[in-house]
Parts: sequence; C-alpha cells; structure tokens
Amino acid sequence: MKRIFSSFRFQSRSTASALGLAAAIMLIPANLLPVLSTESSGSNTSNTIVSGVIELWRQGLWALALIVFTASVVIPVLKVLGLSWLLLNARRGVPRDPQRLTRIYAALDFIGRWSMLDVFLAAFLAGLVRFGEFSTVTPRSGIVAFAAVVVLTMLATKAFDPRVFWQPLDVSQQ
Amino acid sequence: MSPNSRLSCRYCGQDHRIVGLQSGEKAHCVRCGTVLAQRSRLGPDTALVFSITGLVLALPAAFLTFVSAGKLGAVRISLLFTGVGSLWDGGMRSLAVLVFLCGWLIPFTLLCVLATAGCRSRLSIAIDPAGFLSRSSRVLEHWAIPEVQVLAVLVAFMKLGSVVNVTIGPGFWCYCAMAVSLLIAQHSFDLDTLAACTRATGAGSARPS
Repeated sequence: MKRIFSSFRFQSRSTASALGLAAAIMLIPANLLPVLSTESSGSNTSNTIVSGVIELWRQGLWALALIVFTASVVIPVLKVLGLSWLLLNARRGVPRDPQRLTRIYAALDFIGRWSMLDVFLAAFLAGLVRFGEFSTVTPRSGIVAFAAVVVLTMLATKAFDPRVFWQPLDVSQQ
Repeated sequence: MSPNSRLSCRYCGQDHRIVGLQSGEKAHCVRCGTVLAQRSRLGPDTALVFSITGLVLALPAAFLTFVSAGKLGAVRISLLFTGVGSLWDGGMRSLAVLVFLCGWLIPFTLLCVLATAGCRSRLSIAIDPAGFLSRSSRVLEHWAIPEVQVLAVLVAFMKLGSVVNVTIGPGFWCYCAMAVSLLIAQHSFDLDTLAACTRATGAGSARPS
C-alpha cells in the first residue's frame, strides 16, 4: 500500500514540478517581450505587460492598471511561487497543516483562470482596432509566451494532487 | 456501500455518504472543510434551466454584432470570433485556438454536459458522481472562462474610450448573459448529482451547513 501511495505522489509531484518549472521559465520572455504594438497616425509603440500597466496608470486609469497588473503580473507569479511552496511541502513525509495547504491549493486553482485576461484583451483589440494607418493594434510574440505561462500554470495546478498531503495520515490510520 | 452512494472529496480523498440537502444548504468535507455540494435556493431544476438558457444565448452571442468601433468616419464591426480570426491570420494559430476554446467552445460544451445532467436528474435517472458527466464537467470547468473574456472586453472598452468610438452590440449582451447562465448552472450542478444519488440510495453523512 505504501509503495502505491509513494509512486502516486511521485508522479503527481514530478509532473507538476516540470510544468511549474516550464511556466517559471516562460515568465521571462512573457515579461520582457512586447505583447501589443499600436500604430496610430504614423507612430508605432510597442508595450510589454508592465509598460502597458504603467501607461494606463499615467493616463489616470488607475483601476484598470490595477486590474491588469493583478491579473497579468501578480497572479502568474503567485501561482508559480505557491505551487513551489506546495511541492516543497509535499516532499515532506507528513505535512504539519494539511488543511491550510489544501486551502492554498484551492485558492491557486481558483485564481489561475483570471490571468487569461491579457490574452483575451489582446485577441479582442487585434480584431477590433484595424483602421489601417489611422490606428491598428497588433499582438506581438510576448502574448504567446504569456499565454504559455497561463496554460502551463493551470496544467501544473491540475496535475498536482492535493490528496498527497492527506495520504500519510490515511496510511498511519491503516 | 455501493460506489453510487459515495462522494469523494476531490481535495483530500475522504469518502462521504450522500445526504439530502435543504434549499440553500452546503455539504462540507468532514476532514478538510471543502464544499462538496450545495443546494441552490432557486429550486431543483436550476442547472437545467440555466444551462438551456446559456445554450440558447450562445448562438446569437457568436453570430450577432459584438461591438462596433468607429474612427474618422470608418466603422468596423466585430463579432465574437473576429479577434480569433485576426490572431489566426497573424500567424498566432495556437493562441487563436486557445481563445476560441476557452471563450466559446468549452463553455458551450460544458453547457451541453450540464443540460444533459439536468435532464437526467429531471427524469430521475441517477448520476454517478464518478461517472462521465461529473468527470467531464470537472475537467471542462477549469477551461470554460467566458467571465474572464467579459472582463477583458470591459477593460478594452475603457482603454479604447479616448482612441475610437465603441458601441456595444447585441452579441456582447448575449455573451454576458451566457456567461452568467453558465456560472449559475455550474454552481447548481452538484445539487443535481446529490439529488439524483439521494433518490437512488437515501443515505447520509456529509456535514451540512
């Protein structure tokens, strides 16, 4: 029985670790490469996620800047860090507080989807703002890297099985 | 205990016997406290009603004008899939597929699954919590995110306010209503699972609140 549990825990952990690591690596191009470029009356500006947030802030759209910053910067980073914390705890034999770890997992599982905001935003703007030389929005390679981060973190959370925190207790009860 | 009379907590694996819930009640896992199921205040057919409503709204949401934008006399009409088409034409095909899946196809499929589950419950056919409908619902619910797309469109409206004149079309309102219907149907789905199983087994032991 112990062997079955340890094999199951290893598979869950290793898949989630691999996906989480891939997401952490993809965070670099997602934040360094431009996600959108805007061509308006002859001038062309490209924005990364962070520079887009700063521009919104400068325009006085603080609430909007906060929403985009939370969805596109805070949540992906929080998911990668949170997942790493859960994976480290899963390596321990018997976690100290499985209930708290399970709640953290449930929270990470819930917030992940909101990171798709920037991807939908880029798709919507690319389809709508196409007025030739007057004004055109074009998605850039950074948005592909960012979408990869979102998908990888969602897959990593899905791959990680929070029951690993409870199985040592099940085994000890048996 | 037959497999149909048990409900496992998806977070800690604790097995529970199924209880009948009163309107507005939630059943919590006895070990980790996760909400296992909840009974809607709106009645036992909520999942069915809202999933059919969502399905009806999904088609006009996809094919009616989503938004129109005007600048210097030029007007551009955008449908739900116009952005997907632009990404596809721009060579970002994987991104186009992702937006299409998460924004429309998966929500639509999830509504179909919920409507099927609701019909089965209405016809007093038991739904196995570990069966195909429940499992596919759990997989699809992670990727069905129309509410995030609604938020993205609202953010875009505010962002574009000073650049172009944006007018909301009927497609957007249908899409918003579809997203809300899906959320309500999703939250009522566990009720149907439980209700059907309760009728099948009549047992009880999860902790209601």
